[in-house]
Amino acid sequence: MSHDDTAIGGPHAQFPSTQLSLLAAASGSLPNDALDRIIALYWKPVYRFVRLKFRKDNEDAKDLTQSFFATALERDFFLRFDPSKASFRTYLRMAVERFAANQHAAAHCQKRGGEIRFEPVDDQEVAGDSPEEAFEREWRRQLFTLALEDLAACAAREGKQLQLAIFEAYDLAAAERPSYAALGARHDIAETAVTNHLAWARRTLRGFVTERLQGVTPGERELRQEMRRIWI
Amino acid sequence: MDLSDQVVEHLRRVAALPDLTGTPYELLEEIGRGGMGVVYAAHDRPLDRRVALKVLDAAAESEAGLIARLEHPAIVPVYQAGLLPDGRPWYAMKLVSGARLDHFLAGGPSLAERLRVFRRIGEAVAFAHTRGVMHRDLKPQNVMVGPFGEVYVMDWGIAAVAGTPAFRAPEQALDFRSDIYALGAMLACALPDPAPPALRAIADKAANRDAAARYVDVPALLADIERFQEGLAVEAWKEPLWHGLHRFASRNAVLLWLLAAYATVKFVLFFMRNL
Repeated sequence: MSHDDTAIGGPHAQFPSTQLSLLAAASGSLPNDALDRIIALYWKPVYRFVRLKFRKDNEDAKDLTQSFFATALERDFFLRFDPSKASFRTYLRMAVERFAANQHAAAHCQKRGGEIRFEPVDDQEVAGDSPEEAFEREWRRQLFTLALEDLAACAAREGKQLQLAIFEAYDLAAAERPSYAALGARHDIAETAVTNHLAWARRTLRGFVTERLQGVTPGERELRQEMRRIWI
Repeated sequence: MDLSDQVVEHLRRVAALPDLTGTPYELLEEIGRGGMGVVYAAHDRPLDRRVALKVLDAAAESEAGLIARLEHPAIVPVYQAGLLPDGRPWYAMKLVSGARLDHFLAGGPSLAERLRVFRRIGEAVAFAHTRGVMHRDLKPQNVMVGPFGEVYVMDWGIAAVAGTPAFRAPEQALDFRSDIYALGAMLACALPDPAPPALRAIADKAANRDAAARYVDVPALLADIERFQEGLAVEAWKEPLWHGLHRFASRNAVLLWLLAAYATVKFVLFFMRNL
């Protein structure tokens, strides 16, 4: 994440209070839990997409993202989704694009003469993928971030802190991964136990990824498609 | 928590690895992936042999049971099937070595060899049809030709797969004739260039866009190929007269030579007697 990027849409603890009011503003026809899951998963991809596509700075991108979700909730946008036409992710991204373009045009009219500022974005972001690819990549990252939170909560609940610690040391290692033997020695367990603990954590993580996807897909068919996009 | 792209990719990879605890198999390496699952090479510990282990999307759960019903020399045998702890179905099958059909054809085999392989594929599909199973995604990439000439048709009957465009029949509702279309498209790919017109016509008839104009079943298609190989007229092609005569002459060359020799001898004797 770049230094002026937002932390909104990340861990639940960092969710803005206005986000909660968005939920409260929901019509009530879509369960709050479902909205919560949609916003938790999509807030950051939408924000990143807006930043790259419309060259917005951090604050403008946050405002635009926030107002997109607020408008979407007011107008029952999520309930108008037709799974036979596109995936929810594509539907949402295209809606964001239209919404942001309209906002952009409105700002343009107000300023009479195209004084819209195109903010420079980070070199890292420009050199990377297209906004659409960045959206997809951010969506995957957010999906795994949320599933990892679920995994940590599950490990705490079930007293599997050792499994989680081994998983974090091995699978979340930013640099070189330790060997199974080194991990075993560190925790005073056999190598086979390291293998088993990792298998538990990965299996459970996969389950949470599936659960998160279930929460934001309208049916079995789209869930399968999303699963294939993630795993295959 | 801010996950780097590398960590996300690693998580995608490791969380997708099948947990084979409680099975006789040990994961070795990934050897392929398709629309409905991933295939790994695995070690069968009790029998000390390498097998192919396919892990499926749950939507394709019936695939293993379906293939297990198809005991045929040209269909890869299934050894064992089960569910992973995360609910994904898997099955272990013979690990086939050899070349994919498209690679095999690129090696320039003879016409006779091409037709032998194609007939083997057709026999496997015909057998599956008698068991009520459609393939749905026949294409050269789903056929393996082994080092001893053995042929295996793989990736059977996955309802969720729409087929591969070049080999997929145009009709919306696929049925057994859709497999015949795919066989026709495969035959067209398997033929050398230039191909005998009779064989080209067989491929065209099998891959007719109108399902009703195709062969009624796979044995009818194979029978037409057999007729071609025996020098007989094929159902798919109304040949010109000269071609029919040429085919007749080729097929009965010995007889014609004997007749010609007999006529020549009679002619010579007739002249000698009248000298």
